[in-house]
Amino acid sequence: MSISYLTYVIVLLELLSAIFAIINYKSYKDSKEKYFLYFLSFTFLADFTGSLLGDFFGVNSYWLYNLYMVISFLFFYYWYGSILNEVKHRTVVGLFTIIFLGVAIWNFVFESWELYHKYTFVAGAFFTLVCAIFHFWQLLNSDEVLEVKYKLSFWISTGLLLFNMGMIPFMLLSEYFDFSSNAYYIFIIIGLNLILYGCYSIGFLWTKEKYNRS
Amino acid sequence: MDQGEVQSFLIVFSAIALSLAVTVVILFVLFQKRKNRLLKQQARDKETFEKELSETQIEIREETLRNISWELHDNIGQLMTLAKIQVQMEGSKTPQLEEATETMGKAIQELRALSKLINPEALKSLSLAEAVQLEMDRFNRMQFLKASLEVKGDSKPIDPKEEIILFRILQEFFSNTVKHSKASELQVLLNYTDSSLAITAKDNGIGFKQKTDADSGIGLKNMRNRAKLVKAHLELFSEKNEGTQLKMTYNFVD
Repeated sequence: MSISYLTYVIVLLELLSAIFAIINYKSYKDSKEKYFLYFLSFTFLADFTGSLLGDFFGVNSYWLYNLYMVISFLFFYYWYGSILNEVKHRTVVGLFTIIFLGVAIWNFVFESWELYHKYTFVAGAFFTLVCAIFHFWQLLNSDEVLEVKYKLSFWISTGLLLFNMGMIPFMLLSEYFDFSSNAYYIFIIIGLNLILYGCYSIGFLWTKEKYNRS
Repeated sequence: MDQGEVQSFLIVFSAIALSLAVTVVILFVLFQKRKNRLLKQQARDKETFEKELSETQIEIREETLRNISWELHDNIGQLMTLAKIQVQMEGSKTPQLEEATETMGKAIQELRALSKLINPEALKSLSLAEAVQLEMDRFNRMQFLKASLEVKGDSKPIDPKEEIILFRILQEFFSNTVKHSKASELQVLLNYTDSSLAITAKDNGIGFKQKTDADSGIGLKNMRNRAKLVKAHLELFSEKNEGTQLKMTYNFVD
């Protein structure tokens, strides 16, 4: 069995966090985080389909990943835009959305659809990072800091921050190191996904209804 | 995996691990610091609120007492004086009437004493020792119990506002003694030193079982809150059938 089948660990993680999200849906159904249930289900389906297409049908599925990536970042910006209170922050998020869309379209037009759009990812991840920091800033400046561990948006932001923090250098360094020839890099990717979906899962399991009212 | 691959893997891995670790530490410290600050502030706010609440309660109480005092002195007092004169005017001086006059005279005297002791304005013109002495005299006249006051050291002036609070604490204690303790003796000691005033009051009544702070009665709680307000240290000792003792230390501020 090839080491590349380890990517199914990630699909499994996505499935698990989606299941936790379903189980505890009632404790965050009144907040903006409720969209994460659909988003995580969509993530699982997209990744699962992509992996199946690639591994069993030999189809190049990077176009699917690229599409998924663009949708997921747009979803994060929409979500942050709706939970950030400061007008300045929301304006910046709007600006990010426009710039990101520009980068994504540029890459769709000028890059091969059979390659992973690395720079779309770097731009999207960087903007998401800034959004997460905005959200932390907002939490730090409110009374919510006292019960932050029960707040779903805190855990989602922590996951996104750590994941993107790790992925950005990884993507940038791939210029200098040939990752495709070194199968062991899969462990880094799995580790980062473990952190991301681990944070999501902790959030879904710990969160309490009264801290998720928007 | 050859040497070069291992090296490149290690470089990438450490770069990522380091950035993650630093982020987690920074996040944790930031949130913890902020949380502690907020908690401290909340505690401070609560303390200020409680102090203000106690002050307001005392103000309302003093205001009520002042009104009752005026009512007693100016209204009921006048009516009783009138009644006494009316009885004295009666031509046939039977022994019963003489007795009634005497009783009314006593009642008027008691009424005046009481009115004076609950009126904050009147208390302001008295020292703590004088006020306590008046209260003791009242108890002795009523023959509820044998009350005595002892003053040690040179008495020093206390801020009238704080003095009233100290006196009200003692009054609360006395009223408990009279109402519940079935005591036959009440002793008060005011011990003045250069830096502090130690007040001890004790009765020989039935006492009560020491309760924890949480379920102690409103009277006790009030005493403690008021003591806190003037930064006095208050202790209550009681054993069943061993009487009750109040110890309060008030520090003079320079």
